[in-house]
Amino acid sequence: MSSDVNTPPEQLKPRLPGGFSLPPFGIHQVLALVIVCVSLWAVGLLWLGMQAASQWTGSWQQDIRLHVYLSSTKKDRLKALAKDLKTLPDVRDVRIVPRSETRQWLHGWLGSTGVDESELMNSLPYSVEVMPRSNAGHFLFRDMRDMARRYGANVNKQELFLVRAHRWLSGIRKLAWFATAVLALAMAIIISNTLRMTLLARADEVQLMRLLGAREWFVRMPFLLEGMLLGAGAGLFSWILLWPLVFGASDWLSALHVDLHVFYLLPPLVFCGAVVGCLGAWIATARLAVPDVKGA
Amino acid sequence: MIEARQLMLRYPSGKTALSGITLQIEKGSFVYLTGESGAGKSSLLKTLYGALRPTSGQLNVQSLDMREAREGQVRTLRQNIGVIFQDHKLLFARTVFENVALPLRVQGWKPDRLVPRVRKVLEFVGLEDRLWSYPEALSGGEQQRVAIARAMSSRPPLLLADEPTGNLDIETAHRIMDYLVELNRHGTTVIMATHDLQLMEAFPGQLIRLHAGSLMSENVSFDEAIVGDTPEGSGIDTGALL
Repeated sequence: MSSDVNTPPEQLKPRLPGGFSLPPFGIHQVLALVIVCVSLWAVGLLWLGMQAASQWTGSWQQDIRLHVYLSSTKKDRLKALAKDLKTLPDVRDVRIVPRSETRQWLHGWLGSTGVDESELMNSLPYSVEVMPRSNAGHFLFRDMRDMARRYGANVNKQELFLVRAHRWLSGIRKLAWFATAVLALAMAIIISNTLRMTLLARADEVQLMRLLGAREWFVRMPFLLEGMLLGAGAGLFSWILLWPLVFGASDWLSALHVDLHVFYLLPPLVFCGAVVGCLGAWIATARLAVPDVKGA
Repeated sequence: MIEARQLMLRYPSGKTALSGITLQIEKGSFVYLTGESGAGKSSLLKTLYGALRPTSGQLNVQSLDMREAREGQVRTLRQNIGVIFQDHKLLFARTVFENVALPLRVQGWKPDRLVPRVRKVLEFVGLEDRLWSYPEALSGGEQQRVAIARAMSSRPPLLLADEPTGNLDIETAHRIMDYLVELNRHGTTVIMATHDLQLMEAFPGQLIRLHAGSLMSENVSFDEAIVGDTPEGSGIDTGALL
């Protein structure tokens, strides 16, 4: 025993400012860390996907071209159609696709099939290429369709679908925020319940601290710190777990000209984890905040 | 130091724990709170450190009105009161050092002051060689001495002891009393709840006798207390106490 006296244990020196010592890290904390890590990983994956989708749609949106087709029997209306299309508010430029270009495209498409190109060329419609402004609104596509109908022409529907896909992405982004908020709440509840168990295990200590005159912040601080560290740690681990997926999908991503910035996700994941952890700890300790000095 | 006028304490269950208590305790006194089990000794001590708030009447502890005091004021007051709880309230997952250091940590003592102070108080109670032991490795008497060390660690001017010798043999109880008397000699006001008449005889002090939540007598001598505790006086069997 005498040798023990001269050898102060680790607990002698408080490791945290204010003399706080963290509650013991047990199986409940490990489980909470894993669950929160998986949730944060899902959030990270969601936003990584959003980043990839934004880059992908953004790349083709830079040179987006919409085509209006006019039957060869109505070629006398072509210039008037092009002129009217250019008057539409969100149209940046309009170009009548030369027949030589159409022939070239047809030649490339047919390849060495030996089909008579001139006969097919006669049946191909004339094309007007419309370049919308980058901030073109939804009404442009309706206006284009109405204008085309007036001249007996058609708009390439597949190109419109792509434009719609971009709009859907905007909607999905809102859903991503919603999913993030729901997951954050779930994580806060998980951490809260974990800390609640720790609190119950240390109820005697908490009660004693109050009886010795400890302020509420002093009683709560170790749990808040634990929640914060638990959340931040889960954020860090979830970020590390994103890398295998990014490496695994690297070929696919490069084919889509997508260059993901995974490092950008580290601060938000760690910060959000810490905030969620703090929130969970606050919820847990708020339940405990019933004063033990109620009026008799 | 402590002044009570018509102090009344009623639990939410409706049971009246204290009724019409009027007393005054001067600074530096050594006071025994005595009376049968359920007389209100523990309840009175709890009201003194704010674990229970008076229902009516007036109670001033170190100039703080315990009925009107805010929670923060009560917690500040507790930092100036050392309490030896009836059940020790030692933390069995912490070392003796951590148990004794807890009030000092609560008060924000820095390690350079805290460590020597803990060593000193443990030396006072003769447990300097058990600094890093856990309470479960200690005997009942040693645990009680740790509780005393914890209560006195922050040099409180007022020390409340709720039956600190309750489960101890006579020799250990006397040793505990020696510590309390020694603290009192150094100026600490000691209020001790007990119904151990032998201790009261061996270590004289001011007696406050409670019965069924009421004050039977204040500042009585030991002989008067003995008479009060006879079957004729209070209706309890002193044979069991003695």
